[in-house]
Amino acid sequence: MVEATNDFVQEKETIVIKGNVSAAYAAKSARVQVISAYPITPQTTVVEKLSEFVDNGLMPGTQYIKVESEHSVMASIIAASKAGTRTFTATAGQGLFYMFEMLHWASGSRLPIVTTIASRGAAPPWNIWADFTDVISCRDTGWMTAFCATHQEIYDEILMSYKICEDSDVLLPKFVAYGGFILSHTSKPVIIEDQDLVDSFLPPLPDEKGWPHIWFDPERPLMFGNLIMPSGFYYEFRMKIHDAMVRAKEKIKRVAKDFEKIFGRNYGNGLTQEYKMDGADVGMVIYGDLALQMEQAVDDLREEGYKVGMIKLRHLRPFPVEDIIEIAKKVPLLGVVDRATAFGSPTGGPVSCEVKTALHEVKGTARILPMINGLGGREVTLEQQKVQLKMLIKLNETGELPKDMLYGTLWDGLLEVK
Amino acid sequence: MKNNGTVEITFHGRGGQTAITASQLLAQLAYEESFKDVIAIPIIGAERRGAPIQAFTKISRNKPIKTYDSVVNPDYIMVFDTSLLEIPRVKETIRDGVTLLINSAKSIDLSLFPKNLNIYLVDATGICINRGFMHSSGPILNIPMLGAFGKITGYYDLKIMEKVLKKEYGENRLEKNMTVAKDAYNSVREV
Repeated sequence: MVEATNDFVQEKETIVIKGNVSAAYAAKSARVQVISAYPITPQTTVVEKLSEFVDNGLMPGTQYIKVESEHSVMASIIAASKAGTRTFTATAGQGLFYMFEMLHWASGSRLPIVTTIASRGAAPPWNIWADFTDVISCRDTGWMTAFCATHQEIYDEILMSYKICEDSDVLLPKFVAYGGFILSHTSKPVIIEDQDLVDSFLPPLPDEKGWPHIWFDPERPLMFGNLIMPSGFYYEFRMKIHDAMVRAKEKIKRVAKDFEKIFGRNYGNGLTQEYKMDGADVGMVIYGDLALQMEQAVDDLREEGYKVGMIKLRHLRPFPVEDIIEIAKKVPLLGVVDRATAFGSPTGGPVSCEVKTALHEVKGTARILPMINGLGGREVTLEQQKVQLKMLIKLNETGELPKDMLYGTLWDGLLEVK
Repeated sequence: MKNNGTVEITFHGRGGQTAITASQLLAQLAYEESFKDVIAIPIIGAERRGAPIQAFTKISRNKPIKTYDSVVNPDYIMVFDTSLLEIPRVKETIRDGVTLLINSAKSIDLSLFPKNLNIYLVDATGICINRGFMHSSGPILNIPMLGAFGKITGYYDLKIMEKVLKKEYGENRLEKNMTVAKDAYNSVREV
């Protein structure tokens, strides 16, 4: 078993770093004990930075495993987590797809693994730029999924995620996703927290007994995950995963509160974060990097006298049904922006589908305008987002739908296709 | 400067000329010089040595920067390679009122540009060759370009550069880094 060590010092400092480096610092601050790595753009510099930390002796006691594929990354991380260690890895796009089989093995074994995803478009054609289709394709694997809008949020969300995942009522793995290149390769100031403070926030590293639900003892070998007959507990295990996922909502809220108390940074209630919704006529539901820039669009339009607001969606799983209902009661119209696809689904966008589902049969809630934007890293400008907000206002006032709707969804910013 | 107090800088370089690192170092320099918020945005594709590349830095004295989009109306443009000035995509970014910092030993044909420009020249390539400040495929232009940029804008001085370069690249390379920074700081000239 890997030994927990205490012999490195991190004082609070603010450094200008890439989103990927922010993720690496978070893993270090969380004192992860096992990292398994395989590089893939745009995630590569996360594991590169961690390998540098390990090599320079800044993460004493941490085991860094190099393997030959993402499938093996997750297989080795599962083994390490089962042995009762805090684990970390990162991937993106095709790498995540290759890892897919093992994702169910992680959630089915109820392992609190945290994995960052520098989201990128799915090939073909090859695309390495921001698009959340990769992580959202894993929606039903039993992994929790969080989106980050800023470099600081990457660091903060990883810390919060360990606390959520390792809660004995949850014990599920989690993705922390952010837009490839837009966050992974741009640089901004990030506060790296004092190590003592992080230690006081996070649960202690697991002791030699490991996680509470796994009896792992080399002296008394056991098999894990063997065949279970239909009359066995497979069905009940599934019900319990769903139950844990839904109950994780309360944990996420509590952890966000604890986080704010200790570190002073607010992330709404953890699941969603409202921005200038008071007195708003219309609102935009949005996630990832586009959410930060939408804040600026809201600021600008508010200054011009437009009553607009937005809701940053922080978690896709568990899905914040109650929050969405509450917000949809405040305004008559909500736009929902997806930087991802769900081909053939009712709206074409995965999150707008979720929002519509949440509001189904709830009376007096907002009309929803599903939108898709910025696929494959297509640039979304501030001006474009301001036009989107104005379009919502117009739709609300006149009932006039924007041109170029495709089956009830607005694909904004398309090039002209002949 | 934009009405929200943000200064925006565009970098034009060729793959290997270290312009992307320059955009990031500039963000660090401005942050060290107590700008409230900064962001460096490289435009990354299939990088090849010699291919035209772009990067942007936005720096703000007072307000948080909430945008990730590209800079389209820069306040400053740094050109690492004069041959780029002939490329339409680069040329069209040079608009009225922009301040240009160009790496060039020779004077520039001003008929290429709008009239209302501030143009500064620094022989960053010459400085690098003279001081042996090279990597495997050419001069490391970012440090002298940033030295010259500090001089013409006054956003940071050599002391701040020393602090950031020491933190970033360590004590061993500091003297060499600072030599080329100073050379550029002292030799940049207005056209």
